[in-house]
Amino acid sequence: MGTDRYDVVVVGAGLSGLVAAGAAAHRKLKVALVSTGPGSFVTGSGWLKAQEIPRASAEPELKEAIAFFCELMRLAGCTYAGDISTARYLPTVLGDLESVALAPLTLWNADPHEGVSTAVVGVRGLSCFDENFMAERLTEQALRISSGGTYTARQISLTREMGVPITTLRIAQCFDRDPSFRAELINSLRMAASGYERILVPGILGLESSAEQFAEFERELGCTVGEIPTLPPSIPGLRIYHRLESYLHKIGVELYRGFPVDKVEIHDGLCTGLRVASPGRPLYLHCQSAVLATGRRSVSPLGGEYAGRDQQMRPLTSTGSVMARNLFIAGPLPHSGVDNHGNVLHILTGYRAGNLVASTRGNHAAR
Amino acid sequence: MRLDDLAIDNCLKCSLCNTVCPVLAVHTRYPGPKRLGPELERLRREGISTDTEWVEYCLGCHRCDLVCPHQVNVSEMIARAKAEHRKPLVRGLRDWWFARPGLLGKLTTIVPALSNFALSIKPARFLMSKLMQITPQRKFPSYTRPNLRSPAIAGKESQRVVFFPGCFIRYNRPDLGRVVIELLERNGLAAEVASTECCGVPAMANGDAAEARAVARANVKALAQQVDLGLRIVTACSSCGHMLKTGFGRVLEGDEEYAGAAQMIASRTYDLAELLVAQSDAGKLNINFQHTDLRLAYHAPCHQRSQGIGRPWYHLLRMIPGVVIEDMDAGCCGMSGTYGFKQEKYQVSMEIGKDLFASIDAAQPQMVATECATCQMQIEHGTTFKAIHPAEILLQAYGEQKTGR
Repeated sequence: MGTDRYDVVVVGAGLSGLVAAGAAAHRKLKVALVSTGPGSFVTGSGWLKAQEIPRASAEPELKEAIAFFCELMRLAGCTYAGDISTARYLPTVLGDLESVALAPLTLWNADPHEGVSTAVVGVRGLSCFDENFMAERLTEQALRISSGGTYTARQISLTREMGVPITTLRIAQCFDRDPSFRAELINSLRMAASGYERILVPGILGLESSAEQFAEFERELGCTVGEIPTLPPSIPGLRIYHRLESYLHKIGVELYRGFPVDKVEIHDGLCTGLRVASPGRPLYLHCQSAVLATGRRSVSPLGGEYAGRDQQMRPLTSTGSVMARNLFIAGPLPHSGVDNHGNVLHILTGYRAGNLVASTRGNHAAR
Repeated sequence: MRLDDLAIDNCLKCSLCNTVCPVLAVHTRYPGPKRLGPELERLRREGISTDTEWVEYCLGCHRCDLVCPHQVNVSEMIARAKAEHRKPLVRGLRDWWFARPGLLGKLTTIVPALSNFALSIKPARFLMSKLMQITPQRKFPSYTRPNLRSPAIAGKESQRVVFFPGCFIRYNRPDLGRVVIELLERNGLAAEVASTECCGVPAMANGDAAEARAVARANVKALAQQVDLGLRIVTACSSCGHMLKTGFGRVLEGDEEYAGAAQMIASRTYDLAELLVAQSDAGKLNINFQHTDLRLAYHAPCHQRSQGIGRPWYHLLRMIPGVVIEDMDAGCCGMSGTYGFKQEKYQVSMEIGKDLFASIDAAQPQMVATECATCQMQIEHGTTFKAIHPAEILLQAYGEQKTGR
């Protein structure tokens, strides 16, 4: 049977690892995803900054990669809006505007360019989001970019006990689990939103909620809703992770959660498997090819020999020889010295790795 | 310096542990793993008293540990604080018993019929709720005479393995133990039933560190000879497996006499399904399954996930022709062994289970397969579906074949 034999094993559940696993699974490969928690993208908004696009635009498959990512996210129930050729300003929790090319729909709705009257709604007791400060800053910003929009601060109180202090996580969990809480939230927001065309709220609308649930929420509320991502734990970031991971699970990607890969087995220039540091004794995952997407800050399981990657994203030793022909490095490199790769490069390299593994032979898919 | 002393600095307070904590999701006042674990641990290490009853509410599900990107052993820190926590008299007494299912099993099975009667009648349950703070909402599993024995003759070709039955199989379901032995037999493995004690998970969960150490020592001693012979140890209970792989080493850390043997046991322990998958990889799995029309929902127990072995049961069951199986992946069931029996925690326990109950209700399976006995109890308590150990389904699929003896 060989439950631990895969066409491809992807290591790391950051954006690049998740996209690589998705790309490989969409090509009908038998995929395993090994992770110790999500990548650091979950602490952010999940949007794709416009400034990252030119840097990546030299890459031939940028368009294709972004299109794939958008399709993947749509299937995962977390629809993205936008395009690599356009940019919108989206508000940050500090009241700044960030130029963004693509973002989850809930964040995209917060765009100030529409010239609409907006209520910025805070929640009493939620310290990480100051609606007065936000409204004031956004009014300034709207003037600066002459969007013609107006911003007014409003606040709602939640009547049920939410714990002390109230956190975005607590609200999001209630939103997911409790229909009566959603009804109460809609009621309070409806009052706060009365007379406005749009409301902006902190990122609180569920860790698991899908695009359909969000659309229904907007329908019931009767106006456009935009979310502003807050400090970690950032609910919109975590939502991307949850939706994407459970989608991968649904399409048959085997998830190994909780223990790191501590060794890559390489024989005669080929990666034959990975060793997972499970309790008691290691778990070996055999594979036809592998993608390492372990990020810039993790200890690379390739050890000291590893010195960089070539054009096909294969790992190189310090003397420039390829360590393994069927091993690909996605996402930012360890010790690369580049500060911020941004989500665009994660997606691009993840997608490329997913395609590269598909071109190496795989025969475990036929069960 | 112990590795743990360094691990605490790996906590960046990213709160990912809080996002997966089943208790935090349903209990507004619960401080959550980040606070009860690394944050208060810093103070505890300075000798500042931070004793709080909340540590009692940790399920020990290890989800916080698994999601931590920096491998901070969050729940281990909470477990240590739990062991230090002083409980009020009645709860202390109740938890003393809950920490010792082996002793409870020995006593109740002297005259099982009487014990079962006493545990099931309403006045007794009412009294237990009043005097022991055990919820009257749940039924105790019925006890039966502990009559699990090693099979007399092993096949000549068979490879020997040691079966660690655990309290539930020993005192409540020896018939399940025989299913395990027969499954192994049909796959060329001759099981010897180990004369071991409780694994110690209930002792850890009830904050009884001394008892956990005592049973760990007794178990290491009981297994020593077979381990020396290089035999593999099999468990059919995910919590026992979890304890043998991770717990013995932890509670016996620094114990010169036992630490080495505990490590050896950890490296030799297999979940039953894990062992069958290993047989499969060696081309030795009996795959003569009969066609079985069965629609199953599968629930992976938390202590199965914490073993880092993938989903061997899910894949084994999928090999049976005709079986359609859906992995619920709907979080913790909320039972956590004795946790769900505690009066003050019953509500929390049921609230946690809601997601899983809803997923099972939506899947409308013929039955639920899950390898943890208390997960089974919780699923049967929270839904209308029957929940059984996957080993029973697998053995049934073999039908009336000759066992090769």
